[in-house]
Amino acid sequence: MTGTDDPNDDNALAAEYVLRLLDVDEHRAFEDRLREDARLNELVRDWEKSFASVADEVAPVRPPAHLKAKIMNVIAPDTARAPKGRWQWLAGLGALGVAALIAFVLLGPILRSPGDLSPSFQAELASSDGALVLTAGVIPATHEIIIDRLVGAPSEGRVFELWLIALGSSTPVSLGVLEAEGTTRIRVPDDIAPGVRTGTIAISDEPPGGSPTGVPTGEILATATFTDV
Amino acid sequence: MTTPADIEKMIVQTALHDRSAFSALYDATSAKLLGVCLRVLNNRSEAEEVLQEVYIRVWQRADSYTVTGHSPMTWLITVARNLAIDRLRARKTPTKTIDVAVDLADDKPGPEDAAIANSENAKIDSCMRELEPEHAAAVRRVYLEGETYKTLADSHKVPLNTMRTWLRRSLLKLRDCLTR
Repeated sequence: MTGTDDPNDDNALAAEYVLRLLDVDEHRAFEDRLREDARLNELVRDWEKSFASVADEVAPVRPPAHLKAKIMNVIAPDTARAPKGRWQWLAGLGALGVAALIAFVLLGPILRSPGDLSPSFQAELASSDGALVLTAGVIPATHEIIIDRLVGAPSEGRVFELWLIALGSSTPVSLGVLEAEGTTRIRVPDDIAPGVRTGTIAISDEPPGGSPTGVPTGEILATATFTDV
Repeated sequence: MTTPADIEKMIVQTALHDRSAFSALYDATSAKLLGVCLRVLNNRSEAEEVLQEVYIRVWQRADSYTVTGHSPMTWLITVARNLAIDRLRARKTPTKTIDVAVDLADDKPGPEDAAIANSENAKIDSCMRELEPEHAAAVRRVYLEGETYKTLADSHKVPLNTMRTWLRRSLLKLRDCLTR
């Protein structure tokens, strides 16, 4: 089936690959080609997208409650910090709004203070239960992010770490660990700085000195994007 | 109401190993994905096992979501469907179990589930209608029930190569229509 000059051949082959209709050898040969052929990857994605729509006709079936508990336990076996009693995503939004508003009101005068080195962008980082509220302001001239902790503190023996996830990326980059008290000023490396305005910043809970792995290891407590002051 | 943008946000935060976002993602999407697994496997306990694999995979690989360029539900459905097919193919002997339709009667989806249903189906539906009904049904069965050329050839009582030829022809017709 392979090796013909028919331009449609790859298209049909990609469909068969997505449908898992190829035999073991063909499947493997196709995957080898996929690693280096961008166009073939595109064909595969187009088919995945089209066929996924076929699943629209499938009726949802509620899984039993114990299954979720099992999965949560597998992905995060640390029961001491399990999401027990944690906020519900949507229900928490109201609290988030309130916390963000409080932060905005409190911080407004600071961010708007005159001077060349006042922040041009700002963000409110608030956990949805309102137990943690931080503000971040960016001074583009110095590539500095200034973080103020308004409400909440890390738990005993833990620190907060600030992350940037650039727009279109899903990999967080550490910007540094926050000071135990008061204001933290973090100078963002020049190569990352252009991505701050459009990226997402996040605060995670980490061991002293910050994440040992280069990616967040603890809970993501709050995320935010910047807006112009 | 959970929108595709909400689900996308949950996936991105899951990539940061945010358990609350993952939990919300599970709540919003697990019923649909269990439906998909169940359709492929036609066996409740296997489908639940695969669903568990799906979400562990999502937890571990959420960072690969963005590179696919898929909509969030397309990505999740593709992950679920492929893992379910893998499980189906790994069975030593194909088992035809009791029809699950009866089991499902009590599991009516909530409004949340309906809200996240993929809305890109109009085009594939109309393109499927341009195929011979028999061929369109075969394509659906291959995707949703994991039929192979062998099982299709057996059920249509034609040689395997004949089956492959006409299915490929249908797939190309489908592609022509989808890209029109």
